[in-house]
Amino acid sequence: MEVRSNPAADYSSGHRRPPAVQSKQPLPSPQPIDTSSVSNRLQKELMALMMSGGDLGVSAFPDGESIFTWIGTIEGGKGTMYEGLSYKLSLRFPLDYPFKPPQVKFETMCFHPNVDQFGNICLDILQDKWSSAYDCRTILLSIQSLLEEPNLESPLNSYAAALWNDKEDYRRMVHKQYFAGEALES
Amino acid sequence: MEEPTSSFFNLAVLDTLSQDSLHQILDSYNGFCNATQSLLTGNGDLSVGSDFVSHVHALCKHSLDSLLRDHFLKVLEETFEQNGASKFWRHFDPYAHVAALKKNDDLDIDEDEIQSVLYNALEEISLEKQYQEKCLLMLVHALQSYKDQMSEEMHNFEDERNYLTSKYQWIVSSVLMASLPRHFPVILHWYFKSKLVELSTIMDGEFHDTAFQNKDGMDLDEKGKTCNKVGEMDVDEGYSDHRFSENSRLVKNIGKVVHDLRNLGFTSMAEDAYASAIFLLLKAKVYGLAGDDFRSSVLQSIKGWIQAVPLQFLHALLVYLGDFVSYESTSSGLKSPLAPQPSSCCPGIDTPSEGLVRWKLRLEYFAYETLQDLRIAKLFEIIIDYPESSPAIEDLKLCLEYTGQHSKLVESFISSLRYRLLTAGASTNDILHQYVSTIKALRTIDPAGVFLEAVGEPIKDYLRGRRDTIKCIVTMLTDGPGGNSSSSGNPGDSLLEELNRDEEIQENAGVDDDFNTDDRQAWINAARWQPDPVEADPLKGSRNQRKVDILGMIVGIIGSKDQLVHEYRTMLAEKLLNKSDYDIDSEIRTLELLKIHFGESSLQKCEIMLNDLIGSKRFNTNIKATISQSSQTSDEEEDYAISMDEISATIISSNFWPPIQDEPLNLPEPVEQLLSDYAKRFNEIKTPRKLQWKKSLGTVKLELQFQDREMQFTVAPVQASIIMKFQDQTSWTSKNLAAAIGIPADVLSRRIHFWISKGIIAESQGEDSSDHVYTIVENMVETNKNGGASGSTQELLGGDEEEERSVASVENQLRKEMTVYEKFILGMLTNFGSMALDRIHNTLKMFCIADPPYDKSLQQLQSFLSGLVSEEKLELRDGMYFLKK
Repeated sequence: MEVRSNPAADYSSGHRRPPAVQSKQPLPSPQPIDTSSVSNRLQKELMALMMSGGDLGVSAFPDGESIFTWIGTIEGGKGTMYEGLSYKLSLRFPLDYPFKPPQVKFETMCFHPNVDQFGNICLDILQDKWSSAYDCRTILLSIQSLLEEPNLESPLNSYAAALWNDKEDYRRMVHKQYFAGEALES
Repeated sequence: MEEPTSSFFNLAVLDTLSQDSLHQILDSYNGFCNATQSLLTGNGDLSVGSDFVSHVHALCKHSLDSLLRDHFLKVLEETFEQNGASKFWRHFDPYAHVAALKKNDDLDIDEDEIQSVLYNALEEISLEKQYQEKCLLMLVHALQSYKDQMSEEMHNFEDERNYLTSKYQWIVSSVLMASLPRHFPVILHWYFKSKLVELSTIMDGEFHDTAFQNKDGMDLDEKGKTCNKVGEMDVDEGYSDHRFSENSRLVKNIGKVVHDLRNLGFTSMAEDAYASAIFLLLKAKVYGLAGDDFRSSVLQSIKGWIQAVPLQFLHALLVYLGDFVSYESTSSGLKSPLAPQPSSCCPGIDTPSEGLVRWKLRLEYFAYETLQDLRIAKLFEIIIDYPESSPAIEDLKLCLEYTGQHSKLVESFISSLRYRLLTAGASTNDILHQYVSTIKALRTIDPAGVFLEAVGEPIKDYLRGRRDTIKCIVTMLTDGPGGNSSSSGNPGDSLLEELNRDEEIQENAGVDDDFNTDDRQAWINAARWQPDPVEADPLKGSRNQRKVDILGMIVGIIGSKDQLVHEYRTMLAEKLLNKSDYDIDSEIRTLELLKIHFGESSLQKCEIMLNDLIGSKRFNTNIKATISQSSQTSDEEEDYAISMDEISATIISSNFWPPIQDEPLNLPEPVEQLLSDYAKRFNEIKTPRKLQWKKSLGTVKLELQFQDREMQFTVAPVQASIIMKFQDQTSWTSKNLAAAIGIPADVLSRRIHFWISKGIIAESQGEDSSDHVYTIVENMVETNKNGGASGSTQELLGGDEEEERSVASVENQLRKEMTVYEKFILGMLTNFGSMALDRIHNTLKMFCIADPPYDKSLQQLQSFLSGLVSEEKLELRDGMYFLKK
């Protein structure tokens, strides 16, 4: 049912959407049909994400008028050192999504071995291990679990990696950075 | 007037007076004073008369006549005060306490006693007054005779007398008024009331005897001298009943009292007293006649009674007084603005006097007003039994035409609506029925619908707040007489007849239009134009466009016909899906009527639904025909084999139907087989279309055979599947059974309850506490205790199924849509922190383009959000929405 009804919606939105999308995007897409199918896919991901609800502690929503830029929220998992903190992320979907991974960055300061001071994340599925089967929700969940299980072998933040085993100091640093960032924001 | 000139004159001539004449004057004056004194206090002794006259003459010689008059009147006043007024009031002293009572309270005084006291007092004071008047006349005569002696020219005797009597009259009434005790009006009122009650009982008998046609005129006194035509009354001369003389005697007594009072200057007080007594009586009469019975018109009989009793009385009274009126026209200066002047009614005239006509108008107005107030207060009840109570409505209409107090009706009715109908306890159906009755009833009173609009507004507002309003309306619209018993079974309330009526109106309207093209007709219409009643709201269009249209007003509650059509579609789907015989004649008819009202295009989907049914019927016969030609199904499974003849499918084009709720269900193998065969055949005939079964929908006719009995049921497929499982195995645990049928265990326990309640399956606790064991009951004897239910051979779908619907209700659809929005809203607030209303609105518009896309207005969103706030999911601060932490 859905599969059949959607192409119709695609065409109608396909004619309307591309100009707006092109003006927003830095790289104009050579194939407008593609763009519309991308936005269609994102639309569906959004719907799925919304329907699954925020019960897993992850959420995201398009920021502004473009569906290619999202703002995401990840809550630190229960029983982890990030518990009670909620991190904002930005997600930029490329025009050839889902064949290329989105750019994901922490917007809140995050003290973590695999996150650098600019919020860049070192996560395999966001680089070479990307598959088009992943979606927004799986990305967010992966990042959420990354908080708990860092990859200490290729740290972006070696201090954090070094501190990982000292839970007490690590937690203090996490909170310090988090609240410093928050204070900076406000 | 004379005084200044004469005193001036006196001063001038004072010197010229001789000693003699001075003595003479003093003597005469002293003599005059003594004579006056003895005359007035002399208890009717007129022997001093000649003395008095000579003294008057002597004084007049010296032009002291004004002095005479003044002195005489002064003494007169003093005497009256002592002898008349104070004595008069003393009679009533024992009743001083009644002043505290209200006018309509009952007095616990002996009637006869107070009556005789009043009579005596009046008699006495009248005598006193007559005597004093006589004395006054003596003075007048004395003055007159002097003037006659002195000059030959004719003096106007009348002038002198009139001047003095009117002066005297003023003195009397001012003395009495100045000393008026508070209880006197009460006593008067009471007196008239009791007299009128007495009279009306007499008259009532007469009134009933002669009905309305033959009104008896009254012989006013024994001489039978007057015989008047009063209003529409036919007068029968020579009516000489004993009862009649009785009442004329009564009227005479009253008349005498009134006359005496009037002589004393109590004209207006007397009139007030009998007018209020009459009104009180009339009010009691109206209440008595109207009461709580709305099924008959009372206006006519009230009017009849007014003619028969109070007007007869007044007529008699006025005529009786008229005999005396001419003598004392002076009193006419004092009249209450309320009371007409009875003295204007000349005795013995043949047309109803002006006064009487005025009285009649006043009484009728009062009656109309009283009845109107009474009816308005009970309007709610009247409307409840509307079709039966239409006489009361007609009465009210006439009253309102007369009094014009429509706004009173609106206010009072609205407040009683709020108090009695628009409460949580009233069912939506009742409110709607009352609304329809209100519309119908008020249509009679006010064809323009102006007041209806005002009255209907609170009902509409209230109904909009109720969830099931639309459903109730659609039920009312579609269920004809004899329809669903749940719609409170009042056939007169069905809106279906309104649909029919509407059809007629539309036809007539067409005719009207033709007429209107005629210029002449247009001119006539224009000439007939009348302004709206003042109560009309100018914003709501003029009466020309306003036609009281029940359907229109009902639809107006919902706001848009789309919603109504949507609900209708859902209900129609429900109804059609539950049909097993493809009989949709009544639905087609309803749909046609609705199409006339709501337009063809909006009901297109419904039409397709009906066409599906027709198509299904055709296809069903078709497929059965082909089956019968083909080889019979193999015989090896003959136990369970069901031939294709047993099945009839409703094939729907699901795009045009409302969403259909489908529960997964494993049907018994042979049925499953049959269905797929059927589907295959469908595919063969209608390639490339394929048939997909909604297995949980439909009805199954079953016959259960037990050792000792056979039973027939019509049940839902789930229940059929359940019972068929017991065919192979007499006992199941709930878990196994649920698994076998493919439904959740809780659904199973709900569904199987039907069979348990029929006594066909028994439930017992299994070893596992969460597991139940169901066993088929083969023998009826065991279950005789609840045998009542099994007595009937055919049962409709179980009562517990009522809330289970095959089609998602509009509410559910809406709720589902709203949950989508809720999730979106929560999602965006998680990421954005806080958002203003219009940003949420725009974001939803942009990204919530699922099925169905977001199409709500800003207002709808706002109310939805405030719902979320009250559920404590959101917070609203400074116009920004936050997630509640």
